[in-house]
Amino acid sequence: MIVFDQVSFWYNDRSETSFKLKEVSFSLEKGCVNGVIGGNGSGKSTVARLMVGLMPVNSGCVRVLDKDPYQQLLHSGFLAGIIFQNPENQIVGATVEEDLAFGLENLGLSHAEMHCRIIETATRFGLGNMLREPVANLSGGQKQLLCIASVMVMEPAWVIFDEPTSHLDPWSRLEFWKIIDEFVHHHGLGVVIVSQLAEDLNRFDKILGFSNGNMLFQGSRSEFRQAGESLHTCFNYPESWKFEQLMVSEHV
Amino acid sequence: MQISYRPGNGLLYRLHPMVKGAIAFSAIVFFSINSLGLAMMSATVAVMLLGCRFSDVDLTEIFMSVRRILLLLVIVGLIQGLGADGFSVTAAGAAMMRILGVFLVAGVYVTVSSQSELTFFWEVCFRPLGLIGLPARELALIMVIAVRFFPVILGEIDRIRMAQVARGAKLDSGGLLASATALMPLMIPTLTQSIIRAGELALAMEARGYRVTEQRTRYQRFKFSIIDFFAVLIPVLLFALLLKPFFDSAF
Amino acid sequence: MFDKLELKNLTVRYGSHVLLKELCGSFSRGHINLIVGRAGSGKSTLLRVLAGFHKEYDGSIEADGANFEPSGNISLAFQNPEALFFNGTVEDEVGYALKMRKLNRSEIEPVARAWLQKWGLNPERCWNNHPLELSGGEKRRLALAACTIFMPPVVLLDEPLAGLDAKGQRALAELLAGMTSEHIVIVVTHEPEILLEQSGSLLFLHSIGSRWLKPAEFLRESLIDRNFFPLPEWYCNAVGQFAQSSDLPPIRAEAVYRFIKSRECKHADQL
Repeated sequence: MIVFDQVSFWYNDRSETSFKLKEVSFSLEKGCVNGVIGGNGSGKSTVARLMVGLMPVNSGCVRVLDKDPYQQLLHSGFLAGIIFQNPENQIVGATVEEDLAFGLENLGLSHAEMHCRIIETATRFGLGNMLREPVANLSGGQKQLLCIASVMVMEPAWVIFDEPTSHLDPWSRLEFWKIIDEFVHHHGLGVVIVSQLAEDLNRFDKILGFSNGNMLFQGSRSEFRQAGESLHTCFNYPESWKFEQLMVSEHV
Repeated sequence: MQISYRPGNGLLYRLHPMVKGAIAFSAIVFFSINSLGLAMMSATVAVMLLGCRFSDVDLTEIFMSVRRILLLLVIVGLIQGLGADGFSVTAAGAAMMRILGVFLVAGVYVTVSSQSELTFFWEVCFRPLGLIGLPARELALIMVIAVRFFPVILGEIDRIRMAQVARGAKLDSGGLLASATALMPLMIPTLTQSIIRAGELALAMEARGYRVTEQRTRYQRFKFSIIDFFAVLIPVLLFALLLKPFFDSAF
Repeated sequence: MFDKLELKNLTVRYGSHVLLKELCGSFSRGHINLIVGRAGSGKSTLLRVLAGFHKEYDGSIEADGANFEPSGNISLAFQNPEALFFNGTVEDEVGYALKMRKLNRSEIEPVARAWLQKWGLNPERCWNNHPLELSGGEKRRLALAACTIFMPPVVLLDEPLAGLDAKGQRALAELLAGMTSEHIVIVVTHEPEILLEQSGSLLFLHSIGSRWLKPAEFLRESLIDRNFFPLPEWYCNAVGQFAQSSDLPPIRAEAVYRFIKSRECKHADQL
């Protein structure tokens, strides 16, 4: 479980404009697709980074599996992994094998353990026969798979995706959601997806909505749909829901 | 026509990277400094190429690349050949052989060493710098990342160039002095993008547990085998030959 | 200003690989021309060919019947064009293209101000600002304004909407539609849904064979075959039964609703 308790985050001085998060509290469970939505500057990316432990909180506390992710990451523990938007700027190694090994070297694993995990993870993501392949030769979709694999090889309990589909073509998006489905329902992985695409709302079982550093909504997808008009205007509302509303309203 | 790593399984490939690097390094120094005659130089080059042939190294790429330095070879040959007593073919030939030798050694070295082997060699060479506080492994990581992003940045420069030229930028005008300002539409965007990219990459590395001060284990392992034991004799021999004149004059 | 950019038996090669075979068709002024295809299908290479940077091709490109000379007649903007900024002020950035065409400052200023306004940027507010100080959507519009200020007859855009939020995308789509009266606008995108309404032709690139489609044809094909192009589920469910009709609604809830209502009325009238 991920728990945020009265978490605030600000840069430099504690003035009104530099607040990225204002006293946010929520909890997320495994076994369902958790979504974080909001516009640019809403604080959703900050939430993602705090979950992973990239930054310490200024007030309040963050717990992932009852531990502080910041302290864990600082001392080579690993609770939650994050995959950012652009795969190109996350791949460190020159070959597939090197990149997969990078995270494991940081964790201080033995050579045998690393080798075992690399082979297993590469095969799982369809990269098994590409281990020596230079990263420059991979296609865009393969690079994204490599990013996901390089985080999964470290065996995190939770995986956060920061706007994963915005640059993917529609076919790759479908492939991506299949992977997420597998993660959540067949591997017991905790998944959080940060997105501003309206269509993604249909895929989220639980939704956290942010605007200007405040959390405006916490609840299930059906609760979000039934929430008022004022809430919907703050976020992108999917066309499919609009259509269903129109069809329903005529029968009323 | 690029000389780059070609995966393979021959003798040269199976050597330990330190041995490969030592051979290459000593051979390059040998070719550069030693003053053996033309015949000896040619013989050394021939022996080297024969060794490559037996190790399944594909020499065609390297030979094709020799074309690129033909002009340099000719110029050097002419300069070295012209002495006080007219043109000496042996002097010209020896000079050309030396440059050819350096070029071929470097070409073969890069062809039989994968990138991780090259960076391992340099990392070990950087280790003495650790005594004055320079982190060898981090420097090697910088090199790996720089090489890995090289094609990415090239592609980006290309896209930036096309867009700016379409806007009307004249990127190749003005001659030597004017070209610095003319290149601003190309350089500044490339620089800003590289800095942004570095920030994103650093964040991703930290998110995967990278800490500069913490101990990291190593996945790449290289083993010494019996071949290395014999191969090490080559740089030893070369250095001995190099130092021979000093010994001769000392005794 | 050109009316039509025609491709005649265009075969594009990339090294030893043939990317596009014998492409014939045209891009016109008056509506947005879309180019769609999977990653690696040759979209970006085709843009480079049109812009004159990729020379490995056979066949010809003609503008209104005469041979098309790209130099000075096209603007090319790749994904995230804000990466091109290199001037210190918005004024310099937007006017750069005119400066390179040897106009002086007094001539550039009024044109630049008007052009900024046309692109939804207020010159009073941002004239002396650094380009990177603008918001995300504003930077995108400034970049596109800077690329088009010299009124090129052909405007080539590679994923112009990528990375913007929904509001920004809608605003930009309208601006692009506004440009079509005076330029031939060609847009490469993997999200044709957003621009489909304002487009008049769609070139679907595929390794087996590329096709030129009208928007309604594109929707029809996608409804019949899910593998052709994955449209949103709700749209397919709602409109699937009308796949054979000659016109199809754009992918907006209101438009689909009205379409279905009108079909139901027609059906009721017929009964």
